[in-house]
Amino acid sequence: MGRIVIETIGGLSAAGSLFVVATGLTLVFGAMRVINLAHGSFYMYGAFLVSTFVGTTTGLRFFWAVALAAIIVSLLGMVVDFTVVRFTVNRDPLTQLLATFGVFLILADLGQHFWGTGFRAVPLASVLTGKVTISGATFPVFDLLITGIAILVGVALWLMLRHSVFGWRVRAAVDDPELLQASGVDLRRLQMGVFALGALLAGLGGAIVAPQTVVAPGIDESIIVAAFLVTVIGGLGSVLGTALGALIIAFAQTVGAVVAPTWASTFTFLAAIIVLAVRPSGLLGVPER
Amino acid sequence: MSTFSEKLLKKNRHLNSNGLGMKAEVESSRRPGPSTFAMPVVLAVAAAILGSILPTSYSFILEYAVSLSIYAVATNLLLGFGGLVSFGQGVFYGLGAYTVALNWMHHGLSFWEAFALAPFVGAAASVLMGLVALRTRKLYFALLTLAFSQLAYVIVGVQYNFTSGANGIFGAMVPNWLVSPRNSFFFVLGVTVVSLLVMWKVTSSPFGLVLQASRDNRDRVEALGVNVFRHQLVAMAIAGFFCAVAGTLFVIYSQSTYPDLFLWTSSGIPVFMVVIGGMYKYMGPVIGAVVYEIAHHFLIGYTQDWQIVLGLVLVVIVLLRPDGLAGAFNGLIARRRGRVSLEGSES
Repeated sequence: MGRIVIETIGGLSAAGSLFVVATGLTLVFGAMRVINLAHGSFYMYGAFLVSTFVGTTTGLRFFWAVALAAIIVSLLGMVVDFTVVRFTVNRDPLTQLLATFGVFLILADLGQHFWGTGFRAVPLASVLTGKVTISGATFPVFDLLITGIAILVGVALWLMLRHSVFGWRVRAAVDDPELLQASGVDLRRLQMGVFALGALLAGLGGAIVAPQTVVAPGIDESIIVAAFLVTVIGGLGSVLGTALGALIIAFAQTVGAVVAPTWASTFTFLAAIIVLAVRPSGLLGVPER
Repeated sequence: MSTFSEKLLKKNRHLNSNGLGMKAEVESSRRPGPSTFAMPVVLAVAAAILGSILPTSYSFILEYAVSLSIYAVATNLLLGFGGLVSFGQGVFYGLGAYTVALNWMHHGLSFWEAFALAPFVGAAASVLMGLVALRTRKLYFALLTLAFSQLAYVIVGVQYNFTSGANGIFGAMVPNWLVSPRNSFFFVLGVTVVSLLVMWKVTSSPFGLVLQASRDNRDRVEALGVNVFRHQLVAMAIAGFFCAVAGTLFVIYSQSTYPDLFLWTSSGIPVFMVVIGGMYKYMGPVIGAVVYEIAHHFLIGYTQDWQIVLGLVLVVIVLLRPDGLAGAFNGLIARRRGRVSLEGSES
């Protein structure tokens, strides 16, 4: 019983970080109809920045490091949006994929300049490495923390999309961008805001998992695939779908690790293939013509 | 009143002649005229001459560029002709290379048997991938093929005992006479010319025209009673076949394989070549492959930041010249002839 609970919380924490990253991707797609391959680069930069901030002698606390990293990545997102992405809005998928692939290559190379090619360790404060016991079962504190942050992000996004002017405009941009512009909203500024928010979420996702994962060049390549699988399973543009997708992927990973450890990483792909075989536009997606 | 009917007549005649003109154009596009054949022949002869007079260090680069042009043209079969954005062709390139290398490592068939088998392995894998990926459209298709590329990479990396994982496979897996630079160059050139001819026949066949038609208007082609899914699946099989051929040539060129061939960023490379060269011309990707490989080779000597150059070029080309070098070249010629270029998507 105890093992199952611990595996579950581990799976939830994996789902949580995936959700945070993938929901940024899906928000940008929803509001701008742009698919961003450089999203993985934002994740990597979040992780790299945290490794720098935590490692400095001034000893910034982990939370401040995470917040700072996410904000810097968000600014980077604005730069990328201003220089490249805004020109790909309303273009065909190939143009978007290749233009953001170009950005991905540039950021990967620059990342190696700043942080080198080796592995980087992110030490954790001892408070966060411990375990807590809740009603008989023991959980790693850090897993609970990530799960909590993911839930917080999900709720905050829901509140924002439902109950703030910015959120209304974002949803209006999905439904009818022309009418939104006609009613006096600067669509370009709105899109830039959404893109910066998407980058912020990617950076946040990279920053919070940095102590748990390997931080090295190449994590941008693998996370973007995981994020795509999550969004494609859930249906592009749907935040709730992304949450479902993240849970499915993380669950497949956990089951895989128990059933067949050497094939564990293939289970996530299998899950995606099965879902898409049944629903080609994802669980909550709208069929694409 | 009479002027009106005259106008109508004129208009009709105009329409009529337009219709005839279009028909004539379709007819001519099906049969390669002298001008469409001239460039491939010139290129092949030029490559053969260069390959025999250049010092081997240079003919080596050219050999690789030539073999990559199969990869690029096969990818463009899907991208330009089928309208299917595949970020997963590295799977078949890698399978081609690994079929030969694994066969050597596990002492299976002879080199030539493995060489002949590899393309069929690529085609079979391509059909399997197509059965899943082709159920989805456009963006979903691109993302799913990208995911398949990563899946293949992960599997090859994890199954260490069978594939020797991230180390890759090195060794004398190529017959002795093929190791000699000149022999290997002409062998690669020969395979490339044959492959490009076969793919040319495919694109100009009725099958190729249906493929292009379903790229432009899928609903209409389906309404005519064509099974678009099956056509696209066959196109994927052919593209997978030739990507695997290119993969076997990679083994001949480098005498090694490594799992990075499967990575989705590697799958992006032929797409990149197609876009540099121009996807709406049959020979566009060939130009793209040669330009890419030569630029790659010489720039890497000057700077470590090859990826930055690559990324910048990609962004600029995609945003400013989506029809690539071939399109730019045609535009130049058209302007010199003093007529507006109406080049459509016909090859």
